[in-house]
Amino acid sequence: MKTIFEYDEQTSGHLADEQVSIELPGDLRRGDLPLPNVSEVNVVRHYTNLSRENFGVDVGFYPLGSCTMKYNPKVNEDVAKLEGFSSLHPHAGAKFAQGSLQLMWDLEQLLKEITGMDAFSLQPAAGAQSELLGVMIAKVHFAQKNQKRSKAIIPDSAHGTNPATAAICKMETVVIPTDLRGNMDLQKFKEALTPDIAIVMLTNPNTLGLYEENVLEICELAHKNGTLTYCDGANMNAMLGITKPAEQGFDMIHLNLHKSFSTPHGGGGPGAGVLGVRKFLEGYLPIPRIVKQDAKYAFDYDRPKSVGKVHSFYGNFGMLVRAYCYIRTWGSDIRKVSEHAVLNANYLLSLLKETFEVPYNRSCAHEFVVSSKNFGQKSAQNIAKRLLDYGFHPPTIYFPLIVSEALMIEPTETENKETLDRFASALKEITREIEENPQIVANAPHATPVGRLDEVMAARKPNLKWSAGNRII
Amino acid sequence: MLEEIKFTKEHEWAKLSGGFAIVGISDFAQKQLGDIVSVELPKVGSVFKQLQVMAIIDSIKASSDIYCPLSGQIIEINQNLHDHPELINQSPYDGGWMVKIKPANKDEFDGLMTGTQYEEFVGQK
Amino acid sequence: MNYIPITENDRNSMLKQIGVESINDLLKDVRPPLNDELNLPKPMSEFEIRQHMQEMAKKNTVLANFVGAGSYDHYIPSALNHILGRGEFSTGYTPYQAEASQGTLQAMYEFQSFVCLLTGMDISNASLYDGASALAEAALLCSSYNGRNRIYVRDRLHPHYLQVLKTYCNAANLEITDKIDEKTSCVIAQNPDFHGNAENLAHLADQAHKAGALFVVCVVEPTSLAILRAPADYGADIVVGEGQSFGIPVNFGGPCLGFLATRDFLLKKIPGRICGMTVDSKGNKGFVLTFQAREQHIRRERATSNITTNQGLMALAATVYLALMGRNGLRTVASLSYARAHSLQQKLQGLGFKILNDRPFYNEFLAQTPKPAAKILSKLSENGIQGGLEIGQDRILVCCTETNTAQDIERYVSAVRES
Repeated sequence: MKTIFEYDEQTSGHLADEQVSIELPGDLRRGDLPLPNVSEVNVVRHYTNLSRENFGVDVGFYPLGSCTMKYNPKVNEDVAKLEGFSSLHPHAGAKFAQGSLQLMWDLEQLLKEITGMDAFSLQPAAGAQSELLGVMIAKVHFAQKNQKRSKAIIPDSAHGTNPATAAICKMETVVIPTDLRGNMDLQKFKEALTPDIAIVMLTNPNTLGLYEENVLEICELAHKNGTLTYCDGANMNAMLGITKPAEQGFDMIHLNLHKSFSTPHGGGGPGAGVLGVRKFLEGYLPIPRIVKQDAKYAFDYDRPKSVGKVHSFYGNFGMLVRAYCYIRTWGSDIRKVSEHAVLNANYLLSLLKETFEVPYNRSCAHEFVVSSKNFGQKSAQNIAKRLLDYGFHPPTIYFPLIVSEALMIEPTETENKETLDRFASALKEITREIEENPQIVANAPHATPVGRLDEVMAARKPNLKWSAGNRII
Repeated sequence: MLEEIKFTKEHEWAKLSGGFAIVGISDFAQKQLGDIVSVELPKVGSVFKQLQVMAIIDSIKASSDIYCPLSGQIIEINQNLHDHPELINQSPYDGGWMVKIKPANKDEFDGLMTGTQYEEFVGQK
Repeated sequence: MNYIPITENDRNSMLKQIGVESINDLLKDVRPPLNDELNLPKPMSEFEIRQHMQEMAKKNTVLANFVGAGSYDHYIPSALNHILGRGEFSTGYTPYQAEASQGTLQAMYEFQSFVCLLTGMDISNASLYDGASALAEAALLCSSYNGRNRIYVRDRLHPHYLQVLKTYCNAANLEITDKIDEKTSCVIAQNPDFHGNAENLAHLADQAHKAGALFVVCVVEPTSLAILRAPADYGADIVVGEGQSFGIPVNFGGPCLGFLATRDFLLKKIPGRICGMTVDSKGNKGFVLTFQAREQHIRRERATSNITTNQGLMALAATVYLALMGRNGLRTVASLSYARAHSLQQKLQGLGFKILNDRPFYNEFLAQTPKPAAKILSKLSENGIQGGLEIGQDRILVCCTETNTAQDIERYVSAVRES
């Protein structure tokens, strides 16, 4: 398809074209504004046609491990667009923002109950920014206590965001290997737990889709060492109503509202990455905090220990509305979400364990990892591309890094048995194809709007923006 | 040809030539990395200890540390790699060389693996 | 409401296939299991949740808005929401599987192109969280590029941006200083600044470059770029900012849209996703995420940033907005915003307000009030108008966009007269 820049038309009158005079000195004033003029009908057609080249949860099964691609309820979209929410200016002032402040305050109470934490900041815009806030808090906490702690313990199965976050805060990462049951190696952890460790960042259940069996011991040992414990809560969808991270011994947890609480992923965002902390860390949370006084809600900026701010305003408010609706909709039944996420994952695993190598032979949580290494190098990549021809979005591949030819599969609770059966059959059929007709898999996909794309050329001959005459073919 | 070249366990090679050492990565290593799309080389004049990270090679899906096979100072880098990182894939022992080092301690060179030893080492993998 | 499609029959046969009696048998590794039920309110039907939310939304009061200060109320064409609401766009994720995500990827490429056209820069990423964190990312980028750790921030940076910048700097051991010298990593300036002043900053760019520092321009109200000179023209190495003005509702401050664009030589240091054009196996044009080796999922602790999820759908909103408005429409937005603000400014001057801007302004100005600011603003709000942001006892920061009609301005003026 051509790009939007290749149109040149009469534009539509979205605004009345008044004659106004602008008196700006020449050295401030812009000359040419090189944007395309496109008619409304062609803008709508252009982006509608682009959308048809896209896969989403609304299109089909999207078992992208670690991302919790569950169905996004439509009513949540509608209520987030209510004028009272969407047209309220962030500087409106508490007096005029009681509804929005109540929603934020109530959401915080719900999240506290779900996780057992004592306070939440809703400010971080995504999980990675929440991690950053968590490590910032650890850094400030130890600086105030005059303790020199400059290292973070992170298991080798962790998301890349964990070490990347530690690095921003100038903390050195100490990597702990995974043991034979898929847990962080407890012995190696004990050896690494020196007085300069500021924080342990653990994902639970971990990225292998396994509940950390030693989590209580890990947190206890860390605390004895004066180290803070951080839970990467990307996998909260396996813990709702089943266990509370605070009771596991975590001092902090981030939740990805776009994962566990079903706000749409938007083709890569916006998300929302709230941070929960225990009481002794509450003072460090960013300003402003929302407080409730005599049935009125207010902003509290008077937090002398606060680390500061991580967002221009109060966070991705529109996502908070959707997540709040989702949690209120489920209410006291929310445990069913995690139960069925776990059921679906274990069911799918049971259908696939004869076909693929399963690196850790345990019941899984809400997702699981298998290896396609028996089908050769690059098999995970090829299987993923071939799945597109069968009408499925592929799982996450080549992650976690410790499993070769990894396929990381997260079905979520919003899929029925028939979908899982069809997906398992497709995977088995593809492995048969690898034996019988390997080329069809190696050259996949065939049924998508474009064939397999040349990523090497994209990197070696970068073409990152449109310009007239800039056509590579 | 492999005789004058010696290797590290991290898959770098070094070759002595006129008091300097030329350094690159092995054919095995470039095959493992796949299509290389960018190379971050050290600054001329910087000093490294043996097996310290001196460069980074990126392929599409991976980013790999490159270790300095010999202690010493960088006296020249292969500027061609900035625009043509694929030279490492095409010609790892020749056009794909990465840096020239002035070695601080020539004994270190003797401690590296010979071509035959390296082939055995790689064969076991 | 129940979003789980599994029947009891299905559940039983699935448990049988797994080889367990109950779901609880699958949860034996959980430490510690929760014994009590969560203390949450009763579940709600779709009808109930909608009613509940409508009531909550009514507790907010939306006034005619004359406040900007980082969030701008521009008109959003209807077609935009129809496109944004398409599930194919909104329910996908990061386009790792390019062949099934060409829509998202091409829109990303178009977004990057729009940002480059407006700022004059060479490369743009595919979005960051918001303007404030984009600015902080720019500071980290500069330090990583030149190995220096001091940052010079010009006066009148949006105070929230400064707070976010300071928060990130504390974490990353960067120091904010008040002079430009050979230790300065970057020089940061907002344009138009927090008080609305627009300036040609070539002299500041020169000062930065002479010190060997990078020059970062922060644009908080990007519709200004339709009539103001592109930052590349006055020497910016990096342009960051907030894209909310482009088709995103004010939404109580979020979601917003951070953007970051640079000159060519910083390509490998850019944080976040970048989309590139390439070809497929048959030689047809297509789009992929590129230079991924910069990112956390590959480089981990050496990554250029920790960002992964960005503001994808908001970048799409900005792209569709710019496409719908086009060259003519965006000029109209900017001209009207300028004209309305200047009309209100003149009228307020006539009522004894003193305009404190020392340079030309775009659509926002700082006014000294003849009476206490709180009193005037309170009178305005009684008349359904949010009249400005109070800055100290006798100053207000006032903003207009094309949505503040001539009648609104008259109402504003007569309410001030009555106060």
